Amino acid sequence: MSVAWIGSQPVSLMDAVRKASGLLKASRCPVFTIDADVHGTRSAIALAERVGAPYDHPLGQTLSREVALFTDHGGMFTTAGEARNRSDVIVLVGDIPPHHGGLLLDWASTQPRSDKLKKRSWFHIRGSEYSGAPKLAVRAVRVGGDDLSLGNVLAVVRATLQGRQTLSSLTNIDRLLKSLSAARFPVFVFSGASGQMPDLIMLQEMVADLNKKGRAGSVFLPADEAAWGMALTSLWMTGFPPRTGFTDSLPSYDPVRWDIQRMIRDKEPDLHVWMSTRGGQPPSKGTRLCLIALERTAVPVQGTAVTIAVGQAGLDHDGVCYSSKTGTFRAVQAAEPSQLPSLSSVVRQLAVALPGRKALVC
Amino acid sequence: MLIKLAGGEVIDPVNGKTRTRDIWIRDGLLINAPQGETADQTHDVSQCIVMAGAIDIHSHIGGGNVNTARLLLPEHHAAHQRRPAATPLSNAGWSTFRTGCLYAQMGFTTVVEPAMAPSSALHTHLELADIPIIDKATLAILGNDDFSLSLLRDNTSSAMLDDYVAWIVGSSRALGVKVINAGAAAAFKENVRSFSLDDEVPEYGVTSRKIVKSLQASVTRLGIPHPLHVHANNLGIAGSADTAAATIEASEGVPLHLAHLQFYSYGTEGKRKFSSEASRLAAAVNGNRDVTIDIGQVMFGQTVTISSDVMRQFSAIGNASPKKFVIFDGDGNGGGGIVPYRYKQDYYGSLQWAIGLELFLLINDPWRVFFTTDHPNGAPFTAYPELFELLMSSAARDEQSAKLNASALELTTLASIRREYTFDEIAIMTRAAPAKLLGLKDRGHLGAGAIADIAVYRKGRDVAKMFREAALVFKNGDLVVKNGKVTNYRWGKTLRLNPPADKAIVKRMKAYHEERYGLPLDWFTFPDSSIQRDEPFGEVPCNS
Ligand SMILES: [Zn+2]
Repeated sequence: MSVAWIGSQPVSLMDAVRKASGLLKASRCPVFTIDADVHGTRSAIALAERVGAPYDHPLGQTLSREVALFTDHGGMFTTAGEARNRSDVIVLVGDIPPHHGGLLLDWASTQPRSDKLKKRSWFHIRGSEYSGAPKLAVRAVRVGGDDLSLGNVLAVVRATLQGRQTLSSLTNIDRLLKSLSAARFPVFVFSGASGQMPDLIMLQEMVADLNKKGRAGSVFLPADEAAWGMALTSLWMTGFPPRTGFTDSLPSYDPVRWDIQRMIRDKEPDLHVWMSTRGGQPPSKGTRLCLIALERTAVPVQGTAVTIAVGQAGLDHDGVCYSSKTGTFRAVQAAEPSQLPSLSSVVRQLAVALPGRKALVC
Repeated sequence: MLIKLAGGEVIDPVNGKTRTRDIWIRDGLLINAPQGETADQTHDVSQCIVMAGAIDIHSHIGGGNVNTARLLLPEHHAAHQRRPAATPLSNAGWSTFRTGCLYAQMGFTTVVEPAMAPSSALHTHLELADIPIIDKATLAILGNDDFSLSLLRDNTSSAMLDDYVAWIVGSSRALGVKVINAGAAAAFKENVRSFSLDDEVPEYGVTSRKIVKSLQASVTRLGIPHPLHVHANNLGIAGSADTAAATIEASEGVPLHLAHLQFYSYGTEGKRKFSSEASRLAAAVNGNRDVTIDIGQVMFGQTVTISSDVMRQFSAIGNASPKKFVIFDGDGNGGGGIVPYRYKQDYYGSLQWAIGLELFLLINDPWRVFFTTDHPNGAPFTAYPELFELLMSSAARDEQSAKLNASALELTTLASIRREYTFDEIAIMTRAAPAKLLGLKDRGHLGAGAIADIAVYRKGRDVAKMFREAALVFKNGDLVVKNGKVTNYRWGKTLRLNPPADKAIVKRMKAYHEERYGLPLDWFTFPDSSIQRDEPFGEVPCNS
């Protein structure tokens, strides 16, 4: 089985690495898209720094919104474990990505520890933009209003909690208020897919209000766990979340300037290195941009100068991934060990093949 | 490889008086001068002083909360950025890479991250493994988790607590145990807003004092070299000196380390009801040989406070500057708060600055007072060189004092203290004593057999410059810094204890995690291989 191709021709891994490093060396403005576990990301960012390439995640748009909630505002958070053990009211906010369904079901099957007789009550705050598909994994009392956006619904809930008059009324608002006022630890659950930045900030301001007299928290369930893990890794590697690039070899965080998809649309880069251990569609597909794909694939990626197949952590090889269930990283074992090289091993080979032949720091 | 450092003034209080002598290194270790051999490499250090590599016992350099601070404050990097250079990731603000380089440039070779949540130990160790050059270590946080609190509530046997503490230390790869505002994070979850030594945690009915005393005893019984590292109650509050004094008294003949005492040395005198109790607490420390402390010195400027003391951090959000913060109710010991803060040369800032110095100067025994800014809580560690200067020069203190709030300084004894730290005392406080406190017999001195962690400083009038840019630094015999610049990247280890895990407690932990989180235990533990570096850990023995 082949793991490396130049164009659509199978070649040895060494030839593909040589070709790819030649393209990197010749590139005036390379850009990286990185979707991997912690170790793949560490190596990829170290290489990005070496060649001065800005980097982003394939789901950079949603990820940058999640990042911006912290860089622009912050908030009050808790963990999935605390929600499971201690929350007596759970309020889902907007769209919750379906891959978190198992977590919600697990919470639905448990009771708050402090009061084992009490059933946890569930609400779902949603606006007119709520997609409704796929269906929520759990039953929750809907709180919303006709034609009100999520931001407006949240504003009404917040104002009502503060005892202010509002123009709009919401379905089930009284039930929500009653539950919140009796709650010991209500938890609001959201993701970057729940709403726009101002909505997420509004939600955090509401949580802060509730903490003036009582306790409340929010559980942030990333729209994509691997993307969030990539962001955390980037933070310690360069000091910045993605989207980060390098100016005069100094890393700089700029979510607009280093938006790789925007850069590609605006024809700024001359080389795109697509690193995805779970496959997917390179955003440069269909453009004439020179593309190197380090991807979990059995066939050469269409339109690439070089394709190198890489394994996925937790599937082909061991690795470290972020999990919302624990709110941190965990070691994952290869479920189906394969011969596919890890992204970090390929990236290290690429680095050594570059002029200077220096090993990567990761 | 035989290396000779020729003709330096060697400051090595563990092995005798300061004198001019050569230092010999063979294969990463210090040796006595060999007979009839010539060195492969000789460095003339005749205009220099030579010390062991410095050891920082309390600096928040990595892990979940530190990373969240990076996330919250991408604009904070300027404070940490010093000079661009074409080195790997070297310009990355307070990245892990930069952390190792900046410490090494100052002659620090071992740094302890003092607040690792056991439940996210893997994250902490991944970050520490990416800090180059220096060795690292962590303290595991205990005392706010349901399992500890339940054991104490149920008056379970102390053997069970010991097994649990040993399992936590071993599985999280820690070098010691820290308790942070014991019980307060659990109480805060029940909407308690202030918490002192004899207050009870709701639902558990266990006092903060009982938590501290039980963990202190357990750490001692287990032979963990570093005494229980205590972050006391009421941090930052006017009148907290009473709490600190009571905590010092509660040591009761058993070793105890009190972290960042500056943040507790506050009285309620003066117009603003915020005054210095440093001399009273210094006297309490001087009179109690079982207690060691570090300072948590405040230096002026922008920083960010990072603490697992979630109750205290929540109370500080109104002072956030810039106006944003993260408060995190974590599992057990995993919460905390990130609140950016600017220390101004106003009444409060001036008083805190002076209190730290009072403590440094009024505590007589340099073996029991440790050099910290509680990085980054009092100041980033990059402020160390200026702090060394303040300790070694009363004139430097006078000069700085003249710029500060006079009414604050009047409430302190600082102006009357003329003590100046000697190089010997600096070497004890930042080398010999930390090694002893942490149980690291292989470092902190320059005797034969020690690892060759060496800092060479060029003598000069400008003490701050001297300590900011070491002339030479060796880590395990590798030359890593020359003229204040990193010349060689290598990877240090994370030092850990490895007490044997009791089979019954492992079984119990499996059941506990399944029940409490609905997850198998291996979601919370990890093999060494998941760090993906050669030999990421170095083992330190427990006392027998
Ligand atoms: Zn601290």
